Amino acid sequence: MKNKKLSGNLLKCLVAVVVALLVPVLLGGSSYMCLVACFVTIYTISASGLDVLYGYSGQISMGHAAFYAIGGYGAGLLSEYLGIPLFISMFIAAAIAALIGALLAFPASKLKFHFLSLATIAFGEIIYQIVTNSPGRITGNYNGFFHSKLDIFGLKLDNNIKFYYFGLVCVVLFLIAKTMIVRSRTGRAFIAIRENTQAAEGMGVNVRKYKIIAFAVSAFFVAFAGSMYLGLVGYLHPDMYLQKQSVLFVTMMLFGGSASLAGPIIGAISIEILLEGLRTFEEYQMLIYGILLLIVIVAMPGGIVGAVKNIKAGILRRRAQKLDKEV
Amino acid sequence: MRMLIQLIITGLALGGVYSLISMGYSLIYKASGLMTFAQGDILTVGAFLGLTFYRFLKLPYIVALLLTMAVAFIIGFLLEKGVIRKLLNKNVNAIYIVLATIAVSYIFQNGAQAIWSSKVEYFPSVFSTDSVAVLGVNVQPESLLCIGASMICMILLHFFMTKTRIGTSMRAAAMDSMAAESCGINVSLNTGITWGIAAGIAAIGGIFIGPMYGVYVTLGSKLGTKGFAGAVMGGYGNMYGAMVGGLLLGLLETLVAGYISSELRNLFAYIILIIFLFVKPTGIFNEQAIQDV
Amino acid sequence: MLKTDGVTIRFGGLVAVNKVSIHVRKGQITGLIGPNGAGKTTFFNCISGVYKPSEGHVVFDGKNIEGMRPHKVNAAGMARTYQVINLFRKMTVQENIMVGMHSRLKSNFWSDLLRLPNQRKEEKFVREETEKWMEFVGLQDMRDHEAGSLSYGKQRLLEIVRGLASEPKLILLDEPVAGMNSKEKEEFDALLRRILNLGVTILMIEHDMKLVMGVCDYVYCLEHGSLLAEGVPEVVQNNPDVIAAYLGGDE
Repeated sequence: MKNKKLSGNLLKCLVAVVVALLVPVLLGGSSYMCLVACFVTIYTISASGLDVLYGYSGQISMGHAAFYAIGGYGAGLLSEYLGIPLFISMFIAAAIAALIGALLAFPASKLKFHFLSLATIAFGEIIYQIVTNSPGRITGNYNGFFHSKLDIFGLKLDNNIKFYYFGLVCVVLFLIAKTMIVRSRTGRAFIAIRENTQAAEGMGVNVRKYKIIAFAVSAFFVAFAGSMYLGLVGYLHPDMYLQKQSVLFVTMMLFGGSASLAGPIIGAISIEILLEGLRTFEEYQMLIYGILLLIVIVAMPGGIVGAVKNIKAGILRRRAQKLDKEV
Repeated sequence: MRMLIQLIITGLALGGVYSLISMGYSLIYKASGLMTFAQGDILTVGAFLGLTFYRFLKLPYIVALLLTMAVAFIIGFLLEKGVIRKLLNKNVNAIYIVLATIAVSYIFQNGAQAIWSSKVEYFPSVFSTDSVAVLGVNVQPESLLCIGASMICMILLHFFMTKTRIGTSMRAAAMDSMAAESCGINVSLNTGITWGIAAGIAAIGGIFIGPMYGVYVTLGSKLGTKGFAGAVMGGYGNMYGAMVGGLLLGLLETLVAGYISSELRNLFAYIILIIFLFVKPTGIFNEQAIQDV
Repeated sequence: MLKTDGVTIRFGGLVAVNKVSIHVRKGQITGLIGPNGAGKTTFFNCISGVYKPSEGHVVFDGKNIEGMRPHKVNAAGMARTYQVINLFRKMTVQENIMVGMHSRLKSNFWSDLLRLPNQRKEEKFVREETEKWMEFVGLQDMRDHEAGSLSYGKQRLLEIVRGLASEPKLILLDEPVAGMNSKEKEEFDALLRRILNLGVTILMIEHDMKLVMGVCDYVYCLEHGSLLAEGVPEVVQNNPDVIAAYLGGDE
């Protein structure tokens, strides 16, 4: 029974990977559409990282754009000023972000939900202020930061299709890492903290330590995604790291359904496509987005995965009632 | 010395507006244990409404002020009834309520842009002179209006909460909603009124600040976040703490901008916010509502 | 096994627990009774590290543990259950027990991430071990049910076995039969005996006098935060102060 379920999940994953591999073909090789697909890979990693934090360990962050910035600018600065190849500085920047995340979480892990969201907002704003008023203007401040696109040891990712496959590899690796983490002693400790912090502590879970680990992991994910953005676009602007961006990550995670593997993927795909689609409305884009967002929250909190679960449960219930009647 | 006086007056004027926003946060938190992220953009809407009534429709200033307050009150009340209450009834996680208020703030901000304009609009002066002398220093009369008016709002709100029937029942409902309910207090109505009042005072903040900074669509979003810093400094959930915290933040921030560097102004405010959260989350007034887990 | 010496807990000016000294002997069932609001749960929270005593000492297994964080107390060999059921509601029965084993396991973040051989071996052991515990209280058929969906009585059992999974030397049970049906209550005596047979000492808060008098080796009675009486069950039961406290408390 358990093995059956496991192989069923594996099959679903394989199908998803095959479909993902065919995406550029399905999009007819359109460069613009492939760019959107590249953004989806970046956002999938970001939303999945945030899911480790919120979905599993139950901590909120409304300031993860800060880690997105640390990843992007960090990788860029390391490669620009220290001459480290961008591909390697991406990992170093993500590791630095993880360290910063851990340092932030050390005092923040005490705070209750609402005040944790305020602390992370403040952190996000602080990073934004630093990026816009950087010492020696190393980040280019409001002019933005330019860097050559990603090449991996000579392999130039100079078009969107190539980058898409690179992004896909990253997605698969990060999702495997996420699965390994959440389905283990560490992951069980996260969920226990989310479900009942007091009891988790009573069962021997060092709550602060695991909250810090969750923060560091999610910072690593989001920062790496941020550095991928630099590798893809070759340009960063401070206004990409406003609080709006943090909210976007949260929305993507929740829209698909948190504490799941598929949720953040679904969220990243649907929200990115929605936002791109709404571009045709120009200045009304964000207004329509806000209205849709509000409708979705009021109509189906729990996200798409939650809604599907509810429908499934409804069908099962009706079937059970039918059976009851027949008996 | 002249510079100091000038800075203190502009700082208190800005602080007065922060206080109005912070008080809204604290009122809402006390009444419903929730946090709203729409306050700042309600201020923007308020500023644009005031602009419409005063500059475009040429209504007397005080009428424009009261009308704006009334409209904002209705917006806040409907926000609670139409969105927040619905979500609470569904028993959702707090994150969805936070996200809903953010969605509402997007709607206000971008709605304001669609209805009014995306440019910085000039808010005509209420006074005939550009400057008045205070202690030998020339200051914008609007700053004095801003300080005076926000003080008056605070005092009125204090009397409303302590001396009127609605205010008393609102405080009772905030302390223990079950007990208040059994005493015949309509808790749901009270929460709605609280959200309405919070929106109302934020909106007049927009009218006060309009003549000093101009009116534009992102006017409120930054003020909204700063308002959080004021509320936390005073002790989140404490109305008087919010007044003091807001004024203090405006003052300190302006002094930093004046004496050190104007680029550090925002950074300073957010560092204050994060330091208070980490070191003294109960704020100056030691408000226990924010107690750690 | 566990000794408290003059433990006092104050909240502001209020004295919740006043100079309580008890002694829990190895291999016994010790009962803690007293009317509602006597400070029993506060006292438990103090022993298990949730509160730090304002005065006095808690000595567990020869070590001073007052002020130790709850997770460290658990690792030192003390497990507990809660008066208000504190399960991980959205986790399955099996996962709840897995969390209970947390302090016995060694895998860390890196070995979890990289699935090192030690980690795989340990996870296999965890699965076998949890099977054993589910059987211990008869929950093996509910392995994949969410803890929150179980009946009240079954949730109590799960909480106990989640505590036992850490292989403690001492388990604190806070009103373990509250909410159980009469059949489950009847079987509870036997369960306590089986727990003792595992070599686990028991300290239990309980209101059900029949159960307390039936199984406890020694009983302490608290009232208004102070010790009112102690002794073997028969002695405490017939103590006029205890009778008065209970009659007064029931009003």
